[in-house]
Amino acid sequence: MATTLPAAARVLRSPVFFSVAAALVIGALFLIGTGADPLTAYQAVLTGSLGSDGIGSTLTTGTSVLGMALALAIPLRAGLINLGGDGQLVLGGIAAVAVGLYSPLPAPLTTVLAVLAGMAGGALYAALAALCDIKFGVPLLVSSLLLSYPAGSLASYLVRYPLKEPGSSLPQTERLPDGVALPAFGSSTVTLGLVLVALAAVAYHVVDSRTTVGYEMRMTGLNRRFSAYAGVERGRQTLQLMAVSGAIAGLVGAVGVLTFPFRFLDGSLTAPGYTWTGLTAALLAAAAPLGTVLASFFFAVLQVGGLSMERTTDVPRELTQVLQAIVIVFLAARLRITWRRRKSDEPQKESRKDPRKVGA
Amino acid sequence: MTPQPPDPSEPAFELIGISKEFPGTLANDRVDLAVRRGEIHALMGENGAGKSTLMSVLYGMLRPDAGTVKVDGREVSFASPGDAMAAGLGMAHQSFKLFDSLTVTENVVYGAEPRRYGFVDRAAARRRVAELVEAHGLAVDPDARVGDLPVGVRQRVEILKLLHRGARTLILDEPTAVLTPSEADALFGVLRSLTDAGRTVVLVTHKLREVLEGSDNVTVMRDGRVVARLRTADTTADEIAAAMTGRSVALDRVYETGAPGEEVLRVSGLTAAGVHDAELTVRAGEIVGIAGVAGNGQSELVEALAGLRQVDSGRVMLSGRDITHASAARRRVEGLAYVPEDRHAVGTAPAASVADNLAMGHHRTALSHKGVLPPKSVREHAVKLIERFGVKASSPGVAASALSGGNLQKLLIGREIAHDAPLLLVEQPTRGVDIGAVQNIHEQLIAYRDAGHAVLLVSAELSEVRGLADRILVMYEGRIVASYPKGEADERTLGLAMAGGVDSARPEAEAEPVVPASRTAPTARPEETAQTAQTEKGA
Repeated sequence: MATTLPAAARVLRSPVFFSVAAALVIGALFLIGTGADPLTAYQAVLTGSLGSDGIGSTLTTGTSVLGMALALAIPLRAGLINLGGDGQLVLGGIAAVAVGLYSPLPAPLTTVLAVLAGMAGGALYAALAALCDIKFGVPLLVSSLLLSYPAGSLASYLVRYPLKEPGSSLPQTERLPDGVALPAFGSSTVTLGLVLVALAAVAYHVVDSRTTVGYEMRMTGLNRRFSAYAGVERGRQTLQLMAVSGAIAGLVGAVGVLTFPFRFLDGSLTAPGYTWTGLTAALLAAAAPLGTVLASFFFAVLQVGGLSMERTTDVPRELTQVLQAIVIVFLAARLRITWRRRKSDEPQKESRKDPRKVGA
Repeated sequence: MTPQPPDPSEPAFELIGISKEFPGTLANDRVDLAVRRGEIHALMGENGAGKSTLMSVLYGMLRPDAGTVKVDGREVSFASPGDAMAAGLGMAHQSFKLFDSLTVTENVVYGAEPRRYGFVDRAAARRRVAELVEAHGLAVDPDARVGDLPVGVRQRVEILKLLHRGARTLILDEPTAVLTPSEADALFGVLRSLTDAGRTVVLVTHKLREVLEGSDNVTVMRDGRVVARLRTADTTADEIAAAMTGRSVALDRVYETGAPGEEVLRVSGLTAAGVHDAELTVRAGEIVGIAGVAGNGQSELVEALAGLRQVDSGRVMLSGRDITHASAARRRVEGLAYVPEDRHAVGTAPAASVADNLAMGHHRTALSHKGVLPPKSVREHAVKLIERFGVKASSPGVAASALSGGNLQKLLIGREIAHDAPLLLVEQPTRGVDIGAVQNIHEQLIAYRDAGHAVLLVSAELSEVRGLADRILVMYEGRIVASYPKGEADERTLGLAMAGGVDSARPEAEAEPVVPASRTAPTARPEETAQTAQTEKGA
């Protein structure tokens, strides 16, 4: 951030840039193979997602993708993988909608309370997964993933029975009272939710780069034994990071019900797969704050632009999923190649020390 | 299966004009090396001198940019270690590659089993290994489980593996790193009997003593070139060291004794996994050294003191406060700093920047205020320590993995010394560090002691313990079995104690911590006492 020129050079040489570029090239080959014009198709993706008709949709999708990406990036920064994003998201949504429906307070206060309830729901549930890891030795990867399913089932039950909208054939709650919603910007679908998620991203960036908590998080991610040796308490750190992660997932859930459709419809929060797109974005950025924001935006563009491409050209939107997959494959392959190169370089590494070694 | 060499006057192998360039460095610069059949040839040099590259070229793991490799007079071009093995070369690596749960025979034949009707012929395998043991006087039981064997014997299993594959030239990389002095002597006996039988041995090592005692010829490399070819009989340790470093180095310097003051660390009856009933004290202005063969509880003891291993019983007092069950973080607050043995896996995060590595520990105290850790103070702190401890890093932002072993160790020791903690735990401070950097590190530790701090030093290098420590404790089988004041223990005495050759009665009297155990322990025949220790271990 301090110097732009070397940073730009680093970006060009980085595996991320390489993977994205390679995916675009291979995607173009696919398009040519199916008889489509890659330039037209890519152009359709860009105009569809970034043009005046699409940008609102991209930002709305981006809100959820970025939120989930942050939720997964924060523990990932310390080497922890939270696979329970779906469960935390759904519990956040159901907690927010319950508060929104039954709070006796005035609408603006209820909205604030609903957001907080959503965050608390997600945080507590993620903390439970962390406790399973810390207290009972169930690996976080497993505990967070497995706890995700009962959360989804609980929400399904609630919207089918106690919270069901009377008379409706759909498994959904009643619509939230008027005013219990996040304010939108003008007539667009973009709401205050984007601001909240963006604030979370800024907070993550600041904590990551300028606080002891962020420092310990980064060092744990780079070498867990190193941070344990220096006295970082793993259990406490896991609990804290998972709680924050769950809170952000819960926030995304709350935003999902406090905006259109202003209710909890079973499956509507998880169906678009924000958790997995978010995980992909977090992995692509290696959990770095700014990179996570960029990667989330990139995937939001692909998702929204893909729909528009399907409408305007004959190319199915699945192509954008193919692109997404190729990015990941290349990234993984690239990491493996560098890793292998490093291994076979050991004699080289040794020799590289030569000039420095003598004058001790 | 052991084909006789075609012509005994020819070199076993010859490397002619080998050059190998890696981006930015010439790892081997027109290196010539000819090793005569039947000799023990030592290849020496500091880290990065190019020995490993050269051996990798010989063993088919790297392709040279220029030069030829001749084995038994024929020019060869190995594409893989498999080709090299087929040509009669065999390499044993520093860390053993053995299956603990299998027998000696199974380990030796693994990957090259004698077969009968497509099945492994166990009887033939066993016969074959027994023959090899017999023929070379290796004294290994073919049916013993490798996990039950002492390290020195495991080394022989590695050698048997090479012999089974028909190796006529054995390349041993740092073969004595984990051996006691007497095990090392035994190894050299084995190697000598192999060369007497016409085989050739190449030792890649940095231990001068062994090279002088065990080899016929020495080739010294520095900066990718051969800088000296010496006949062992005509050379001295100083000459080799000077060739390795390019200047004269004071080897095995024994530093002045310190002036001990207040007791800083008192460990009583400490028992943890791998440590039994350890008693010791360290005073301010004193270095207490713990000698022992790797794996006898030293690491476990230090981990228990550092709060990284659970203490089962006993007590640890630091400056009068009980820290027996305190967390690692709490211990640091109470005044403990720690240089761990494994600087890559524990002591640093190699992927992180030098600045971030130097900040660890300090990030909670001096560098931060109410949880805010400004990148600027991390950077300034790094610049200061780099300067103070002479760490060679191009900038604080460079990844720690780019530093050489010696520089990384300076970084680590500097960071821990900068805590100014009353107690410093140091494990293997100079393992894998160039001779040039060793002296610097030793001086840092002595200066730290003289500034009135207590230092507990664990090292497998006897000369290091003897040179630095004001008192030497010996650990064997998880117990502290002997204690000697500075200057009262020669290598032989220590070596004997390290092999369990003293009575394991509690060595350190409460009131008089400097009473040498040698005075209280029986000075009976070593074999007898060793046996005592053996039986006690079993109980």
